[in-house]
Amino acid sequence: MKLKLNKPRREALIGYLLVLPWIVGFLLFMAYPLYFSLFMSFHKVAITPYGIDTTFRGWDNYKDAFLTDPDFIQKLLLFVKSTVVMIPIVIVFSLFVALLINQPIRGRQFFRAIFFLPVVITSGEVVQELFAQGAATIPLMDQSGVIAYLENNLSATWSAPLIDVINRFILILWYSGVQILIFLAALQKVNTQVYEAAAIDGASPWVIFWKITLPEVKPFILVNLIYTTVDLFTNTFSDVIKLIQDNMFQVGTGFGYSSALAWIFFAVILLVLLLAVWLFRNREKTAYAGSGR
Amino acid sequence: MASFHGNKINPSRFGIGQVKFFVFLIPLGIVMILPIVFMFSQALKPLDELFLFPPTFLVRQPTIENLVSLLSLKDMSVIPVTKYLFNSVVVSVSVVALALLTSAMTGYALSKKKFKLRKTLFEINTIALMFVPAAVTIPRYLIVEKLGLINTYWGHVLPLLALPVGVFLVKQFVDQIPNELIEAAAIDGARDTAVFLRIVMPLIKPAMATVAILAFQTVWNNAETSSLYMSKETLKTFAFYMTTLSTTIGNNVAGQGVAAAAALVMFVPNLIIFIFMQSKVMDTMAHSGLK
Repeated sequence: MKLKLNKPRREALIGYLLVLPWIVGFLLFMAYPLYFSLFMSFHKVAITPYGIDTTFRGWDNYKDAFLTDPDFIQKLLLFVKSTVVMIPIVIVFSLFVALLINQPIRGRQFFRAIFFLPVVITSGEVVQELFAQGAATIPLMDQSGVIAYLENNLSATWSAPLIDVINRFILILWYSGVQILIFLAALQKVNTQVYEAAAIDGASPWVIFWKITLPEVKPFILVNLIYTTVDLFTNTFSDVIKLIQDNMFQVGTGFGYSSALAWIFFAVILLVLLLAVWLFRNREKTAYAGSGR
Repeated sequence: MASFHGNKINPSRFGIGQVKFFVFLIPLGIVMILPIVFMFSQALKPLDELFLFPPTFLVRQPTIENLVSLLSLKDMSVIPVTKYLFNSVVVSVSVVALALLTSAMTGYALSKKKFKLRKTLFEINTIALMFVPAAVTIPRYLIVEKLGLINTYWGHVLPLLALPVGVFLVKQFVDQIPNELIEAAAIDGARDTAVFLRIVMPLIKPAMATVAILAFQTVWNNAETSSLYMSKETLKTFAFYMTTLSTTIGNNVAGQGVAAAAALVMFVPNLIIFIFMQSKVMDTMAHSGLK
């Protein structure tokens, strides 16, 4: 291509060319379907042998979701609550593991593989199969009597959340695969000479972590924050998603109503994400304010 | 250079200083492997063990009975299992290859090329990550139908190529490549294709390997395109075949064992791809010029 273009324009052109396949795919398989589902959310949709029948309902689908649906709001709140608690745990845990497997220890490759392994478990049918077979809880915990011990020796107010965390611990581990990988990539970017210099200057590992490692991986914390939020909210065993899918094929509610539910859910996810990013940015500013940035 | 000759990445000896790391790593690692052990053990359990109460975690008397009955099932349907498998392989390979290419191109352009819409496009992509895929089933069907992709391999491939996670991950990795590196290459006379292939691609290998794993997961386990867009039985994929298995025979008592075996058969390719790709993820990270 020997077009006479000045550099910025040429670059922009190449940029657009590279993005073009993505844009086309996106328009066809994401943008238009999204638009159509928004359209359906304001209608009553009936599928007939001759095509799709829509009758306009205005905001009624949304009103029904909030006012008459016995399950939706309750399930949504419960799900959001438990997920929001999980997000920081996943992030902290994956950073912790990434730090561990970044240490010079024997069998490092092996451990890396193991901790990245959940990526192949948590997607698709496999995880549902596992869940159906009860593998997502720790059977050893049950069998070794840890849970029974907690139940017997603590009051219900204390044992219930503890058991909940134990039961969900496996899920937290499983949902950390990609996050661990991202953190690991960030950690390996840090020049080892910086650590050596800091160690020579007498910095303790604790100080090195807060002053060198953490600032270096900070951009990746944000990446992981976004990834984790999205991953946890849209995974297959969300009760809310199940509810949305169930409503799709019910005669009384149908696609229109379930589209409305999907959009409400989407708005909630977006809200949580914006809040998380906002909190993160705010903290970052205050943290840097002291160091004169 | 000194950085990777000077410190040995994998120490060959076990020192007392490493103990504190193993205290955490070994128990956590065991927890990570449990589900896979469980899957294998479940598939190998004879029927009476499957219904044991309280259920056992490990199989006591392993048998390949379940797997054998899974394979003998093929007589029930007209189409041999291998046809489904062939379809799955063709579709999976094309989706992974094309998804990698588009994600890499898009991620690179969104990160390093300067044009007006690039920020907006990336934000749209991130937002697209958040939408519940189930909600767009009908509109997607309409599109696939309009494009004439019903009962073609493209009907399997194209809808899955929109992989916002891929673009998201690749872009984040390309962001970390210093602009100076690309400029230096350009000054040395490298064209865009050369910069892309020789500099960017090797540096984002960890991201690419991750995307490949994720893409493979999505496509291999996807039964939806088969059930929605394919009416010809000969075009359906293995994942679809597996779901029909568990719905037709999974409900009765004898089917439980076969279903467990089917789950294992479904899962093994995931594991193989993972083992194959993850070494690339891990190897390249240490030596990438990202420092």
